[in-house]
Amino acid sequence: MLTFLVRRVVSALGTLLLSSVLVFLAVQALPGDVATQVLGRDATPDAVAALRHQMGLDQPAWERYGHWIDGALHGDFGTSLVTTKPVGGEVAQYLGNSALIAVVTILFAVTGSLVLGIVAGLYRDRWPDHLISTVSLIGMSVPEFVVATVLVLAFSVTVPVLPAVVLYGPGASTGQLLPAVWLPAASLAIVMAAYIVRMARTSVIDVMASEYVTTARLKGLSTWRVVTRHALPSALLPTLHVIALNVAWLVGGVAVVENVFNYPGIGKLMLSSVQNRDLPVIQAIALISAVVYVLCNLAADLGSMALNPKLRTRGGRIR
Amino acid sequence: MPPFTSETSHRTAPAAAGLPRRSLLTTAAAIGGALGGSALLSGCSGAASASPTRAVPTRGPAGRPDRGGTLRIARPPASDAETLDPASALSAYEYLGALYNRLVRIGPDGTVAPDLAESWEPDAKATTWTFRLRRGVTFHDGRAFTSADAAYTLRHILDTATASPQAPVLTPLVDPKRLRTPDAHTLVVPLKSPHAEFPSLLTHYNCYVVPDGSARSIGRTGIGTGPFRLESFAAAGPGRVTAYPDHWAGRPVLDAIDFYSVADMQARSNALLAGQVDLLSQTNLDFATARVIAASDRATIARAENAQWYVLPMLTTEKPFTDVRVRQAMKLAYDPEHILKAALQGAGTAGWDNPVPPNDPAHTAAHPAHDPEQARHLLKKAGYERLAVDLYTSSYDPIFTPMALAYQESAGRAGIRIRVKTAAADSYYTQIWMKKPLMATYWYTGRPVDQLLNQVFRGGSSYNETAWADKEFDALLDRARRETDAGRRRELYGQAQALVIERGGAITPMFADRLVGISRKVRGYAEHGFEFDYLRIGLKGA
Repeated sequence: MLTFLVRRVVSALGTLLLSSVLVFLAVQALPGDVATQVLGRDATPDAVAALRHQMGLDQPAWERYGHWIDGALHGDFGTSLVTTKPVGGEVAQYLGNSALIAVVTILFAVTGSLVLGIVAGLYRDRWPDHLISTVSLIGMSVPEFVVATVLVLAFSVTVPVLPAVVLYGPGASTGQLLPAVWLPAASLAIVMAAYIVRMARTSVIDVMASEYVTTARLKGLSTWRVVTRHALPSALLPTLHVIALNVAWLVGGVAVVENVFNYPGIGKLMLSSVQNRDLPVIQAIALISAVVYVLCNLAADLGSMALNPKLRTRGGRIR
Repeated sequence: MPPFTSETSHRTAPAAAGLPRRSLLTTAAAIGGALGGSALLSGCSGAASASPTRAVPTRGPAGRPDRGGTLRIARPPASDAETLDPASALSAYEYLGALYNRLVRIGPDGTVAPDLAESWEPDAKATTWTFRLRRGVTFHDGRAFTSADAAYTLRHILDTATASPQAPVLTPLVDPKRLRTPDAHTLVVPLKSPHAEFPSLLTHYNCYVVPDGSARSIGRTGIGTGPFRLESFAAAGPGRVTAYPDHWAGRPVLDAIDFYSVADMQARSNALLAGQVDLLSQTNLDFATARVIAASDRATIARAENAQWYVLPMLTTEKPFTDVRVRQAMKLAYDPEHILKAALQGAGTAGWDNPVPPNDPAHTAAHPAHDPEQARHLLKKAGYERLAVDLYTSSYDPIFTPMALAYQESAGRAGIRIRVKTAAADSYYTQIWMKKPLMATYWYTGRPVDQLLNQVFRGGSSYNETAWADKEFDALLDRARRETDAGRRRELYGQAQALVIERGGAITPMFADRLVGISRKVRGYAEHGFEFDYLRIGLKGA
């Protein structure tokens, strides 16, 4: 078990290192370097050379990478080219706002969709299953910005109970943002839930058809007990990965939804920094997204280990 | 996994689809929301899309506003590093007219009108200008406005550390060291060379007057002489201004204005539809969204007439446009009225390749008629009988692609083959503009004729997007500047326009009205060029 744990953590760290190199290289590969992007139309060769020197761009790439990664490890992501403020603090503020949406989304999407998926699985091929499956298929096929627009039309324009956009800046308090969290969270949850519902339904069906569940039934256990004690832990296992991937997707997927609602989160910051070519901010966001992605997958693996006795005892590998 | 591809599709929706605008709208109505945010809106509000003939209103609600109330404006942020310094390239444009005044502004008739200067006159050769300043004007901090502030404002714009976009226009004319203030209400500006239209250059929105010595603080304090004073401001965030009761022209109708920064156009429209804001500033709505807004109970559409002009600049330094006959053929080959109808649905005025707006007093209509036969003839003479050129466009502006396609169709009848190519929107102005021989772009109107012709068409100017250099044209502009007789000067600017039409590289199909989303409660909305009436705008039932 320890071997598995160590191996898994090492591979996670390796993935992070690799992605940091890729992020750095991708940003370097953008047309024109930072200096020409910042100077824009005023980019005379002299001005570009001076700015390149000032930014340390005339040093070799590996040296700059070392400098950047060293700073990042200490929480220093450099300064924004646009606002000239430290990137770390700025990103943290926006990330905190996004976390608010993420928490609400995950809470509702995960609990709601698990319940729906299990119900669909238990009532396989009967009307509750048909209803849930159809609705979740529709949720899966409609892009989140369409869901968002429909929700705005319904709950902000036709029946004005929730705000259509956030009018506050990134420094808004949780109390100010809270009324505006529901519509973005709902649009993300609808898209996200569909995948979890499908997965949960399939695994419940698989597990309910397995021999040990049949045995448990023959023992005369009540359906409730069979489901909660025997079927669910196994059924949750494959679902866990889908949930982990979806949580990781949230970090990037909020970009569209945040812009539709003008929500001051990480997705909006990402879009504006790409438009402004604010490279230190783009690098920081890309790296943080990679960290979240890796951590979510790590958590899913460790979680499934906790749920799966086979993995726990024999130190085997997943799949 | 949720679909990642959708992230880009909604931002590039109507234009990048590469369909003529009209057919796109019909498709959108048929398949509902699948094409993106704005198309979805039109699909959902059946009333608006069911009657395609229903026109977007030409005027906002009529009538007088009630006194008081707070107007809520959604605006696109200039940058995350926005400032209230009017001279800066990153100024938060919407605040400027509320907080500050200029020496002079552009009146509704297009002529230079008094603001903080009551009158102005040149010497006999137009090399020295004397401005008589208004008395009894106070800044928001209570200090009196004097000629020292006016002189300081000019020095601040000319200071290289400010990097003002208006500095390249004024630096060749004004030496900051030679400005004189003989008394508290007189400003004397000696020019390096005669300029009979000099005051018009001070109507630019970079020229708002700031207090003496305020360069370091003005970006945060916003202290001016305008009808509103600053209560709060956050770069790319919310802000608030309140009525300044001691304003020299009287108290504004409103009590306050809340400014909200909303980067996404769809989000801005949604905020208006939901009643969270009352006006969308600097937002040219696309026609689908405009119809939805006009059909709603809360909001409607007003227009800023001829607010921008659209151009297909031909780089005169690139083949085949080095040949003036090809440039003439490209202009004769197409019908501006057709492009106006197809790309703008008639919401504007045909340009006939003259960039000076039809409502500018200096405008002259000196264009030849649409003549595809003559275009064919010219191309044959120039040796380009089967001319085929690439025309670059992008989703940067929703009109670019419809305009490019309408030009392609119209010029095709004269035998010119146009290949429309779509480039990325975010690097459009760094990779395509002034680099590709033919592309689609636009300018905001509001520049006085002298600044317009010198900035965009004079040989060697940094904004000269066609790289056109014509000695005769440049000499005409110089003569006009020296000409103190207004009638003769107008004649010279007329001849200059005729040269732009005849030899220049700019194909100017049309001037477009800006479709402005406003609440049905708003009264007294008036905007033209860079002028916005903050004094008289108000709300009904405030």
